[in-house]
Amino acid sequence: MKKWYDAINNATSVDAIEEIRISIFGKKGILAVEFAKMKEAPNEEKSKIAKELNTQKSALMHELTSKKMELQTKELELAMKQEGLDVSLFSASSEVGALHPVMETMDRIVEYFASLNFAVKTGKMVEDDFHNFEALNLPKYHPARDMQDTFYFRDEMLLRTHTSPVQIRTMMAQKPPIRMIAPGTVFRRDYDLTHTPMFHQIEGLLVDKKGKVSFANLKFILEDFLKYMFGEVEVRFRPSFFPFTEPSAEADISCVFCKGDGCRVCSHTGWLEVLGCGIVDPNVFEAVKYKDVSGYAFGLGVERFAMLIHQIGDLRSLFEGDIKLLEQFR
Amino acid sequence: MIVTRSWLNEWIDLEGITTKDLCKTFNSIGLEVDKLQSYDIPKKIVFGKVLECEKHPDADKLNVCKVDIGTSIRQIVCGASNVREGLNVVVATIGAVMPTGLAIKPVKLRGIESEGMICSASEIGLPDFMDGIIELDESVRKVRLGDEVKGHSLFSDDLIEIELTANRGDCLSIRGVARDLSAAYNRPLKDAVVNTNEDKRVGIGRILNLSHDKNYHVNLRYKAVDLKNLTLPFIVKLRLSQIEETRDSDILSLMLYSTHSSGVILRAYKHSFFKKEDETIAKIDLAECEKGFACIYSTDKKKASMVGIIQEDVSLVDVDEGIILIEASYIPPEIISRQMQESKIKSGPLYYKTSRGSEPELNRGLDCCMQMLEINSASDIYGGVIELCDKYENVVISITKDEIDEIIGYSIDKVEITKILKNLGFDTSKSQGDSFVISVPRYRHDIKNKQDIVEEIVRLVGIDNIPSKPFEFQEENRLGDDYFWYKKRKTYRYKAADIGFFESIHFVFDEKKILNSYGFETLVEQKDLLNPIVNTLDTLRPTLLTGMLKAASLNVKNGYSCIKLFEVGSVFDKERNESVKMTMLASGTQTADSLANSGKPVKVDFGYFVQKVTDIIGEFDLVETKTTHQLSHTYQSATVIQSGVVVGELFRLHPSVQNDYDLDITYLCELDFEKLPCSLKIAKESSKYQASQRDLSVIMPKSMKYAQVKSVIDEVKTDEIVSFKPVDIYSDEKLADEMSLTIRFTLQRDDKTLQEEDITSSINNILDALQSKLQIGLR
Repeated sequence: MKKWYDAINNATSVDAIEEIRISIFGKKGILAVEFAKMKEAPNEEKSKIAKELNTQKSALMHELTSKKMELQTKELELAMKQEGLDVSLFSASSEVGALHPVMETMDRIVEYFASLNFAVKTGKMVEDDFHNFEALNLPKYHPARDMQDTFYFRDEMLLRTHTSPVQIRTMMAQKPPIRMIAPGTVFRRDYDLTHTPMFHQIEGLLVDKKGKVSFANLKFILEDFLKYMFGEVEVRFRPSFFPFTEPSAEADISCVFCKGDGCRVCSHTGWLEVLGCGIVDPNVFEAVKYKDVSGYAFGLGVERFAMLIHQIGDLRSLFEGDIKLLEQFR
Repeated sequence: MIVTRSWLNEWIDLEGITTKDLCKTFNSIGLEVDKLQSYDIPKKIVFGKVLECEKHPDADKLNVCKVDIGTSIRQIVCGASNVREGLNVVVATIGAVMPTGLAIKPVKLRGIESEGMICSASEIGLPDFMDGIIELDESVRKVRLGDEVKGHSLFSDDLIEIELTANRGDCLSIRGVARDLSAAYNRPLKDAVVNTNEDKRVGIGRILNLSHDKNYHVNLRYKAVDLKNLTLPFIVKLRLSQIEETRDSDILSLMLYSTHSSGVILRAYKHSFFKKEDETIAKIDLAECEKGFACIYSTDKKKASMVGIIQEDVSLVDVDEGIILIEASYIPPEIISRQMQESKIKSGPLYYKTSRGSEPELNRGLDCCMQMLEINSASDIYGGVIELCDKYENVVISITKDEIDEIIGYSIDKVEITKILKNLGFDTSKSQGDSFVISVPRYRHDIKNKQDIVEEIVRLVGIDNIPSKPFEFQEENRLGDDYFWYKKRKTYRYKAADIGFFESIHFVFDEKKILNSYGFETLVEQKDLLNPIVNTLDTLRPTLLTGMLKAASLNVKNGYSCIKLFEVGSVFDKERNESVKMTMLASGTQTADSLANSGKPVKVDFGYFVQKVTDIIGEFDLVETKTTHQLSHTYQSATVIQSGVVVGELFRLHPSVQNDYDLDITYLCELDFEKLPCSLKIAKESSKYQASQRDLSVIMPKSMKYAQVKSVIDEVKTDEIVSFKPVDIYSDEKLADEMSLTIRFTLQRDDKTLQEEDITSSINNILDALQSKLQIGLR
């Protein structure tokens, strides 16, 4: 019997094991021969022989099965080794495109206000003096017109300098209450490192019955909004001046780069100016013939938000379709 | 507006308020601090006095001085040309380290011991405003020999630059800023009491006479001075350099100083300008010029100035002596800026202040100026003034405490409100109970209504001290057309980005010349831009294509070979009507180089581009069409048709344009965004029976278009044929001018499984039609 144990142990392939199995357990295998011999044995010994043979049989079977499994594992391992790859070769670059960071920021802002039940309103880029200036308490001689260098056309139309005309048109077309934002492209005649002649703005307007809308309401929504956009920042308000709001304020957030310690981006003040806002000036309501109402308005530059949020340094690169920049937003 | 701490301190006591706190207050009351600069004078630089001054025996340009520095007398060699005996100076003593890093040590200069250095302004870190060494005078008060310069507020000063909003003309002077601070800190404004010895003086009436033909909205007030021996004090020179202003003569510098300090517009005229040679009385005539502005004329109708706008050179005082007239003027800003808007004329340096609202209390400026003249010159000042005032009544605004609280959304104490208004110079004495009656001083021309009053209260209370409160609103569906339009844009943009295109934004401005050269129509002349910012952006774009090409070109320069871009943006037709286009560009290779393509990525081709555009906008048909512009390849351009509607064009870029922009093979597609579908999808019920496919290969001339074949099939196909599409084109030498086109048909019925004979009959039907109409048939 030892011969067979050696044969099993020395087998090198699953096929060899199979041959051994047939030699031992097959119809003409050695075990069959041994069992056949049993017939000739005396009856009283038969059961003893049968018992021995069966012990032998199961021991051999066990040996054979475990050897077979061992060899199978080895062969599979070998086969897989053949299929081995240098996985480090495979780092594919993405083939999807990306949204523009400014437009994506705009989407985020719109999403915030839409979820707070603000209507989205849009308008045309070419505007007239009335909707862009006059109705917004900016008569022709108003010094604040200096702040907004305007592109004019030969027929005295102009490119809107803010999205406020959309608010005027909305108020003239529908009755209060109003709860809206106006996202859009606007234009100022200014072109240098920190200004482009075209940029994007989102302005918001809320109008309701007289005495209902207060400065405290304005503060509440803007504080919440700025935290939604920039994360945990401090928000402060400074009085300011806009012809169409009164009282007016500018909102600053603690610098997102230096956390308020002072750095180059915040001109060492620790604060970043991010939006303008205020209580709607009664002259604006008068221009659109609203009576006994109160309201607040706010406005912000989308490029500035995008640049602060994504830490983009170069404003101009936003208008060049520069894949170097855009592919980082995949 | 530039202010310095020491200058402000002349109008309001800043004791106990740090400069940091001052800046915080400025920001919180709406005077935004733009810049803070602190002058830090090094230690061991002290006040001294030159007791003796002698020429250096061995050097022409050096002097040997004995200088009293309080504790001792030192010998100092000085090279400045203005050093002289008796001069009060600034001395860097032994051990001082100058801002440049130079350490002061005892030295020998040409053999003579020197123990220190007499300093110039720039040497101690001040603006360079005096030639040679600093000469101190009485204007620098509280100076003791030996005291460190560092401890003197005039030298260790803080300079604060404030960015003023357009409405705050009242803060365009030191006194104006101090007035706002007085309300913020609840400290009184220090208005100097001026001593005038009017009795002993010759009255101004003896030499000046003022006439006017009608009433003007102008306030004028004149003083006359016989100017003698004027020396400009140190403090004036230093401060004018700090506010970065200079004037040619001492008298003009003095007046500029008074204006910046008080806010009153001051001008000086030659007395002689207004009189004939043989006369003693000058006559000033206020009259309207041809453009309707109030102007000052001499008796012989020579214009001296336009009030509040500009002074003519001929009337300017050019020497610091002789009789001069000093004029203080005020003109309401809303009047002057409206006039100026209507007739654009050149304005002088003080116009900015006038147009934003200068100080209407004219004596404040004149007093300031006269006092300086008395101290710093031997001039004779004529008694009294000659003046002209328009009638003015203060704006009165009534508002209740409830109204104030409603706008702010928070209740502010009545006493607090009254205190704020009073400190701002508003008269509230007529108020009763909870009703405020507020008389607004003229210098606050920006305060016109209730909300203006609330703004004043809000900014002085501090916005950060007002608690935030959510607004309570009624639910309402606000998802209107504009929202869905926005959402449609968003949907297409997200799709394009997912399919592999990068979103780009370009200016809506473009270059007319280039657009025209490619055959695009631009704005008609009378509707074109009047004031473009640069020549290359001189009109509005009629297409997004050129912007795309520029962007592609930039990316090629940056080393990119696989360029896929899109934009959704506005364009303008020649009548300037705005519409939105969606444009896609694919240029160079289909993918970046990688292992998968053995570093040789396949270039974009027509089929690839059509596939990508389809992935974004859904299926469409192409009809061969020439574009109206010349950007397209002559034989690879098409109209894009979706559900029978023309939605745009798709083409390969013309090879010569490709060269113009240094591009590799490029495809473009521009679509009318409005025409792209955005309706909700309707699902069709599908057949339960099996579908079959049949391929049909026909031999047809190479010149024949698939569109012809397609239209014949469309015409005759039976309902069993649910779809068909070309799947293979084959040609070889044997076929010569012909080719084999394989079309795959899908057949299916809703009511039964198609039998072989049904299929054959359908296909034969088509074959017959192709044979009879196009004379093409099976291979």
